[in-house]
Amino acid sequence: MTVYILAEHRRGELMDVTFESISAARRLNDEVVAILLGTDLADHAEKVAKYADKVLVVEDERIENNTEAYTQVIGEIIKKDKPKVFLMGNTSMGMDIAPALAIDLDSPIATDVVGISEEGGRIKVNRSVYNGKVLSDLVLREAETSVIAIRSGEFSAADLEEKNGEITKVDSPLKETIENKKFLEFVEPVAGAVDITQADVLISVGRGIKDKDNLPMAEELADAVGGVVSCSRPVVDYDWLPKDRQVGTSGKTVKPKFYLAFGISGAFQHVAGMKGATMIVAINKDIKAPIFSVAQYGIVDDLLKVMPALTEKIKELKS
Amino acid sequence: MMEVEEGNFDEAYDVYACMQCGKCTGSCAVSLRSDLNIRELMRIAILNKNEDLEKHEEIWDCTSCGICTVRCPRDLKPAEVIIGMRSSLVEGGTIPVTVRDALESVGTNNNPWGRPKSKRAEWLEDLDVKVKNISEGEEAEYLLYIGCTASYDPRIQSVSRAAINVLTKLGVDFGILGEEEPCCGSEPRMMGETGLFEMLVEDNLTLFDEFGISKIITLSPHAYNTFVNDYPECAKRLKEDDVEIPDIELEVKHYTQFLEELIDDGRLDGEMMNEFSGTVIYHDPCYLGKRNNIFEPPRKILNIIPGARCIEFDRREDRSLCCEGGGGRMWAEGTGTGERNAIIRVNDANQDGANVIAVACPFCLSTLEDAHVTAGYEETMRVMDIFEILDEVLK
Ligand SMILES: Cc1cc2nc3c(=O)[nH]c(=O)nc-3n(C[C@H](O)[C@H](O)[C@H](O)COP(=O)(O)OP(=O)(O)OC[C@H]3O[C@@H](n4cnc5c(N)ncnc54)[C@H](O)[C@@H]3O)c2cc1C
Ligand code: SF4
Ligand code: SF4
Repeated sequence: MTVYILAEHRRGELMDVTFESISAARRLNDEVVAILLGTDLADHAEKVAKYADKVLVVEDERIENNTEAYTQVIGEIIKKDKPKVFLMGNTSMGMDIAPALAIDLDSPIATDVVGISEEGGRIKVNRSVYNGKVLSDLVLREAETSVIAIRSGEFSAADLEEKNGEITKVDSPLKETIENKKFLEFVEPVAGAVDITQADVLISVGRGIKDKDNLPMAEELADAVGGVVSCSRPVVDYDWLPKDRQVGTSGKTVKPKFYLAFGISGAFQHVAGMKGATMIVAINKDIKAPIFSVAQYGIVDDLLKVMPALTEKIKELKS
Repeated sequence: MMEVEEGNFDEAYDVYACMQCGKCTGSCAVSLRSDLNIRELMRIAILNKNEDLEKHEEIWDCTSCGICTVRCPRDLKPAEVIIGMRSSLVEGGTIPVTVRDALESVGTNNNPWGRPKSKRAEWLEDLDVKVKNISEGEEAEYLLYIGCTASYDPRIQSVSRAAINVLTKLGVDFGILGEEEPCCGSEPRMMGETGLFEMLVEDNLTLFDEFGISKIITLSPHAYNTFVNDYPECAKRLKEDDVEIPDIELEVKHYTQFLEELIDDGRLDGEMMNEFSGTVIYHDPCYLGKRNNIFEPPRKILNIIPGARCIEFDRREDRSLCCEGGGGRMWAEGTGTGERNAIIRVNDANQDGANVIAVACPFCLSTLEDAHVTAGYEETMRVMDIFEILDEVLK
């Protein structure tokens, strides 16, 4: 079964998901053909060819960074070569291209796939649903080509077999320049920005922290447990922490494995942003604080005493 | 209100009549602390330069207070133009994540707070009195429409319970819809989700019809405003599009209007109350005041409370300083920097010598409650809904 994959690259760098796609494709055995589109592709082609059976290179500046052009070109190649599967990363690019391609080709599609196998000639995938709470197995219907977008980081590219496949240049099948969609610019995330929604452990501080000078204490605890500091809205209002650290209905919704709330009363707008955490521990000197009704564990004490003691203990356990 | 296709602002809102005088921006509740410049947005609408709307993050700063519309010398509706702009952003999917989540939640849970429908009536659990539930077949003259925020936010739930206690004591024949109560759609509409709003109007009018509801008392001025002003207009438009909508006339009152009538009928007076001690300052909510010219009823109620010394803000009635709670701002902080209006408001109240800020809107209660703690008045000042004050004093 031939599997075509997309070699994704951005700003002169090949993306890891390219090799992860090859790794996923290998689970379906047989030939893996990589498609490489855009400009300045010679280096990339060599790197991809090392692990692919074949690399198709289309040099055309009209394609560079334009997902609409990507979709059309990949579509043309697939219509011609009819591979059993077309596979790419479920990246921002993949989310743009894969579904559109499936529509164009009238193909079955599975997105955000974390597992893949072949069963009696049919393709079986595993993907998570309900916000990651349930994993489902799906068997794709019979089709000339099926489209699959894999979740990045799920298929290890560590042990890829070397293939040193051939590199073939293909004339660009793009009929005309894409006018309805233009690539404008790459927007960099603000330097030093911390994404609290991605952290497994959040050390969250509220008005109870009292003073900006007490924040390093929270940072120290966060460092010790490998977490990140987040906060309630007043802490942002006082300018003690930037806006992107705010948890709540008008801030960020977080679902860490572990949420430690220090000196946070548990107002509705705050709780709505963190109640999905797996484990919530609240530290508050007021036993009646509503935060205790959503916390699994609580400590009723002065956070200025608890926080350093906790840091100390964790450091001790780690050493 | 109208669904705005890209590029037809001019037709939908008659924007060509705008003379760029800037009175709207001059009146705007948030332009002092944010980049929002409604005159400039009017200009963008006139020039049909809508393609860059997503760069104007400040479109989400608007609290929908409506004062720009009130003040426009050309009788234009700048506040509606913002909703139109938000609509096209909603269509294009480029909206703040928190706003998206709130809108999605209205679709799935029938409330913007991300809370399950099954918990909508949990606030009833601590009540001593029995309330009729119209959705369970019980009959009542009035529906007390609680609204999403007063159903779910524990601080505001206390207003819902106070309302039940007060109306029961006053012998009003009323009921609620409990878990079946829907979102009124006001906030989704202000956040530009026109389609969702239309769906709610259709569903809710059908629901009211099914349960024989024709008289509604609302806790929130936002629900009041949308039932009174937006529903009839939207229903008319839907009918023109051949959507089947029951022909019902709703008689809707904000609770302060309803209580004023009881005062006029002699069914509510100071004799029925214990002494209240405090200097009370009333904060006019935009959706009662600026948008609907309802200034007197809340004041009349406060004035009959024995012992309450009523004072006034300098900025009151249609000049009342917006608390920044409406227009989706519950779910969008906005680009604003510096002091929140709510902080300015509680500082003003403190300076005027008030120790109780009386409100008549769940959003005002949220924002001012939060601000009075942030500004350091937790021990010296209370923020109370008028229903809460009444619940405290009624014998
Ligand atoms: C429109 C709107 C949107 C909002 N959005 C958000 C939002 O997204 N996120 C958010 O967080 N809030 C939001 N809020 C604010 C929210 O209503 C609360 O005011 C806020 O969450 C309270 O923050 P807090 O718990 O840190 O402070 P507080 O409520 O003041 O609580 C401080 C707590 O610290 C405890 N404490 C004090 N000293 C100590 C000590 N030494 N040791 C231990 N405990 C101590 C106290 O007992 C108290 O419980 C919003 C409000 C509005 C009106
Ligand atoms: S007040 Fe009216 S006429 Fe003046 S700029 Fe604003 S919208 Fe235009
Ligand atoms: S509705 Fe209020 S906040 Fe919005 S633009 Fe008009 S004046 Fe400003």
